[in-house]
Amino acid sequence: MRKILAIVLLGIGSGVAALAVGIPGPEIDPASVGSGLALLAGTLLVIRGRRRK
Amino acid sequence: MWRLFLLGVLFSIELLAVTLWLDGAVLIGRPGLSGFIGVWGSWILRAVVGFAIFFLTFSWLNYRPVLLDAARDAAESGVDWRFVAAHAVFISLFGILSSSLYGTTSSLLISDLVALAWLATGVSAIACGAFAFILPNLWLRIARNTGYLWIITLVAVLVACLTGNSTRSLWPWAANITFRMTRVLVSPLIPNLMADPGKMLIGTPRFLVEVAPECSGLEGVGLTLAFGITWLTLFRKQCRFPQALILLPAGAALIFLLNSVRIAALILIGNAGAERIAAGGFHSQAGWIIFNLVALGFTVASSSVPWLTNPKSADAAAAPADNPTAAWLMPFVMILAAGMLSRTLTADFEWLYPLRFFAAAGTLVFFSKKYAGFDWRFDWFGPLAGLVVFVVWIAPDLFVPAGAGAMPSPLSTATPLARNAWLAFRVLAAVVTVPIAEELAFRGFLYRRLISADFESVSLRRFSWVAFLVSSILFGALHGSRWPAGIVAGAMYGFVLLRRGRIGDAIAAHATTNALIAIDVLAFHHWNLW
Repeated sequence: MRKILAIVLLGIGSGVAALAVGIPGPEIDPASVGSGLALLAGTLLVIRGRRRK
Repeated sequence: MWRLFLLGVLFSIELLAVTLWLDGAVLIGRPGLSGFIGVWGSWILRAVVGFAIFFLTFSWLNYRPVLLDAARDAAESGVDWRFVAAHAVFISLFGILSSSLYGTTSSLLISDLVALAWLATGVSAIACGAFAFILPNLWLRIARNTGYLWIITLVAVLVACLTGNSTRSLWPWAANITFRMTRVLVSPLIPNLMADPGKMLIGTPRFLVEVAPECSGLEGVGLTLAFGITWLTLFRKQCRFPQALILLPAGAALIFLLNSVRIAALILIGNAGAERIAAGGFHSQAGWIIFNLVALGFTVASSSVPWLTNPKSADAAAAPADNPTAAWLMPFVMILAAGMLSRTLTADFEWLYPLRFFAAAGTLVFFSKKYAGFDWRFDWFGPLAGLVVFVVWIAPDLFVPAGAGAMPSPLSTATPLARNAWLAFRVLAAVVTVPIAEELAFRGFLYRRLISADFESVSLRRFSWVAFLVSSILFGALHGSRWPAGIVAGAMYGFVLLRRGRIGDAIAAHATTNALIAIDVLAFHHWNLW
């Protein structure tokens, strides 16, 4: 059930996000998608990169 | 694995050609199947691309041995040229039928038959292309050995497309709520606030904002949900369910609220006299800042709040020791963060660019003890490779006459001190901090992290096709419209690194390219290169 819910929500989220592609002046600027996602991914990798003992 | 890459390149080129050539809007409003293609055609393309990306990503994460086995067998079986020929025939037919379908209108029956044949040839071309490089029995084996992944991916992609195309009707409704929330936020701060709910205009006589349907906040909600669900799926063992699911509505509600805060801030900045900053950099970057903050908050909460974390997971039980990733990645992350901040405060020219230099330089100094152990040596090969990359980089501009890319007017009209200081930091960043930060991140970290989680144990001389291609493609993707040259540059710097296993060689190559570009810009006025 959890997986099904996850799939449905993932679909809804991705769909809404995909809809915005190509729209002039949306709330999240597509022109900055590279640097925006790289910043998020880089920060997450650093946070998750802690070695634990 | 190179065969899968080749297939991806072939399909990408064909997809690009089809997207540039065919205008789906021509078919919208036509009756029958061609009208359906007009409405849903772009979504079908997104579904195909989305399916390929999702399936490959999750196969690689969860079923890597299956993919590697199939890749090995595919390499032994060779390319099936009969399928290549069939692919060529179907693509040609697809082209001919496209001319007819997207051209003049005909009777409903003929139009529907052409549309049906167009769909059939398109699907056949995709199938034959896929079978040419990886035989049908191998595709079947991949589908069988990856469990329900293909069904899950298919359902997710279909739901995404159906929802995406149908939520447009929710935009005006959501924009109305955003408008009202913005008015509540701004009215205590601006006494003479103007608000016209009919035209969705809000602001002051000095700075008026239209809350358009696409600014409704639903895009942020969609991105947050997509990110949150992916995160909870990937790190499900570290989360406590069902408690962690509360993060999804909480994140969606928070970003929806913050979108109103963004518009309120836009009005306040514009009304304060910085209209060009509000409408320029702030409008462009604030959405990303909000999304990144919400996404980071989501991850921190899911891994740090005891009520949301699984107490049995090994990660929760262990105490943090050290962070080997930070030294390799932080200079690059700091450049990106400083860049986002400086662009946010930019009207028409990024005067705060030196922030990027100081952010990277400060981080490099902070980790200097760690860097003392790196191999910074380089020989003649690095600069030579850098020269080759420079030629590739400027090749598209070879026919642009010198001086065509003029110096930006805010810079040319600035005082000599301000202009020269800005140029000095721009060159310093390009030649010193950017090459070091990007090579540490892409070649030193990402390349080896794609080979092993314990990336520091991987030799800088170890070769892997997947790591080489993925790190080069991601490096190229970060360079905007120059992404093809960026991929070549990433591959070349990777090759330089692998030759002797010294990070210094890759940095020397990258610094040489950037220094030559700086000379080209300053001496020959090719400002379009910056």
